[in-house]
Amino acid sequence: MRTLMLLLTLAVSLFAQADWTSYGGNPQGWRFSDLKQINTTNVARLTPEWIFQSGVGGKWQSMPLVFDKQMYITGPNNHAFALDALTGKQVWHYSQPAPKGVNYCCGQPNRGFAAHGDLLIKVNMEATILALDRRTGKVVWETVIDDYKKGYSATVAPLVVKDKVIIGIAGAEFGTRGFIDAYDVNTGKRLWRFWTVAGEGEPNGESWSGDSWKRGGGSTWITGTYDPALNLTYWGTGNPGPDLNGDHRKGDNLYTCSMVALDPDTGKLKWHFQFTPHDLHDWDSMGDPVLVDLTVKGEKVKSLIHADRNGYYYVLDRTTGKFLTAKAYTKVTWADGIGPDGRPKLIQGQDPSEAGTKSCPGMGGGHNWQATAYSPQTGLYYFNTTDGCHIYYKTQQEFVEGLWYQASTVGAIATEPLTGRLLAVDPTTGDIKWQFETVSAPTAGVLATAGGLVFTGEKEGYFEAFDARNGKLLYRFQTGGTISAPPVSYLLNGKQYVAVTAGSSVMAFAIR
Amino acid sequence: MPLAAQNPYLGDAKGIESGREIFRIYCAPCHGLKAEGGRGPDLTLGVYNAGDTDQDLFRVIMNGVQGSEMPEYIEKLGADNTWRVISYLRTAAKKDTTSVKGSATHGEAIFWEKAGCGGCHLVGNRGGIMGPDLTQVGRKRSAAYLKASVVDVNQDLTPGFLTVIVETKDGKTITGVQRGYDTFSAQLVDAKGVYHSFYKEDVKSIKREARSLMPSTYSKVLTGSEVDDLVAYMMLLRGKQ
Repeated sequence: MRTLMLLLTLAVSLFAQADWTSYGGNPQGWRFSDLKQINTTNVARLTPEWIFQSGVGGKWQSMPLVFDKQMYITGPNNHAFALDALTGKQVWHYSQPAPKGVNYCCGQPNRGFAAHGDLLIKVNMEATILALDRRTGKVVWETVIDDYKKGYSATVAPLVVKDKVIIGIAGAEFGTRGFIDAYDVNTGKRLWRFWTVAGEGEPNGESWSGDSWKRGGGSTWITGTYDPALNLTYWGTGNPGPDLNGDHRKGDNLYTCSMVALDPDTGKLKWHFQFTPHDLHDWDSMGDPVLVDLTVKGEKVKSLIHADRNGYYYVLDRTTGKFLTAKAYTKVTWADGIGPDGRPKLIQGQDPSEAGTKSCPGMGGGHNWQATAYSPQTGLYYFNTTDGCHIYYKTQQEFVEGLWYQASTVGAIATEPLTGRLLAVDPTTGDIKWQFETVSAPTAGVLATAGGLVFTGEKEGYFEAFDARNGKLLYRFQTGGTISAPPVSYLLNGKQYVAVTAGSSVMAFAIR
Repeated sequence: MPLAAQNPYLGDAKGIESGREIFRIYCAPCHGLKAEGGRGPDLTLGVYNAGDTDQDLFRVIMNGVQGSEMPEYIEKLGADNTWRVISYLRTAAKKDTTSVKGSATHGEAIFWEKAGCGGCHLVGNRGGIMGPDLTQVGRKRSAAYLKASVVDVNQDLTPGFLTVIVETKDGKTITGVQRGYDTFSAQLVDAKGVYHSFYKEDVKSIKREARSLMPSTYSKVLTGSEVDDLVAYMMLLRGKQ
């Protein structure tokens, strides 16, 4: 019996995905672990195995990578650590404080490493990309992405595609022009750049009035995905700039608030789909593009699914970019559904104004950047949403390079606090199969596992596990710190762990 | 850092207008279009956490506030534009037209005796813990605001002081002021100052209401001049926390 158990354990470690090696868990961005040692029958016995206290304050939005018995995690303000995955002990610490004068829209987070052989690739706040030797934490190469004095900064977890590393940029609140870049993963040499804002004389350049494209925003601060069969990489793009005043950027403002499919070898645009033409509410579309094959309206289709900040869940054909279906998953007051052409049916009187306009969802959108998960076991797509509204204000504002360029702000509605839900959605229709309501707006991402579980966390520090089929809460633990990142799972010495950042710590859980 | 002896744009109409424009660009994203607060504090109260003088404001804008999201503006704005913003902020501060005509000495007696405010509010280490700590209330609130809060308790609820009502499985109801409230639990302090904490699964129900538990009878219990006395006393509460 014991031998059999040992063999079974060995089989699990041989055939199941023991490591966690990328932001999306797989190139398609499923964030699904096929480990099932921790499952619906025993998750109630989940126990913290170790806590690593980083001592680095700020927002820990990083997803750890785990392989070769070590965990590699980036922290805020250009920190990174290698930890012993068994005990949580520190192996090395990388630190390179950002120079003064970097513009941050929203703190100094970093969302994690990409891995390639012995290289760990990350971006730094001051818009550089660098590779660390995973054994030592020493810098192997570092390349300037662009000039931070123009308002650029970088927070994204890179995506490795073949021998290239692809990244996006932040800074749409500072009148920058967004892009997606590819670098030689071994040398750091830039190989191509795709501008997410079409310039004058370029295809779709007419979707910007005047020279507004020069300050058009469209940042790309969440990691894209990759379809090896189609050889396409998919990236969501952020809001146009200035965020809440479109007077001087008339037109659809392509390719902001869009999904773009690029040839990773050349950076050439294969197709684009715009979720929110001429956005006025800061509803970036940078959230996860997840690649699943679905049967939509009776037809098998290679799909891309995406929960947009504008309050709608979308299904696209990822070969062509064709719109297939959309459904609102939170309260939406700015549109009366999405038309057959994929364009929202606008409701008048929802634009920001001098006096303030109430519109829903709020500025952070319904679903924001928090990582999502798709389970092939349940066939459900899991993501969280903020439910509520904001008062949107608009101002006139002159552009000054490198300075905040939002042309407005939003106000909270005191009697209607923002709340949250974790949703399990049928990806073919957008129908909500189950939901879990939370007092606060969501902060953490989601992990699904073959153990029939969905893991997430909350602002108030709860780490939670749900039955992936019906949303029944099976486990919770108070970590004592806000959970701002998705959990990951890995197998070490035959034992499954689930790890997550909480506050400025990293925690690993297992069954005792 | 150069520190001018005084604000060159104080009361200067053009300086104020340009300060307002600068404020809307750099400050409004956090402090709101009308400086009434948002992600950052309300700046219209005329009293500020880091000091009330022009030099205090100048220092905070130029250097930022360590450990907060308030960045430094020494490079972005420079001294001249910072003075313009300060001149605008002085006009944005709400003019408190309520004359503090009462007697603070008499008000102190009302606070601790007749009105029993100290049963729920702290001043220094004295008083109850149910309501907001009033040790610094004279710095944080205007006299008009305080007067309105005494006579109409729900006119503006202090964030974090909502009412939580717990019904236990044996049928008891416990009502108190929120100390904590999340998806799974609630913490509250009842009228006797007793602290409670419950998980939702251990009780019959937990609900939260956006209203104050402060008695709504002060407009009847106290005369108009007694309210003035009370406000006069509270306006003197400017001590250290």
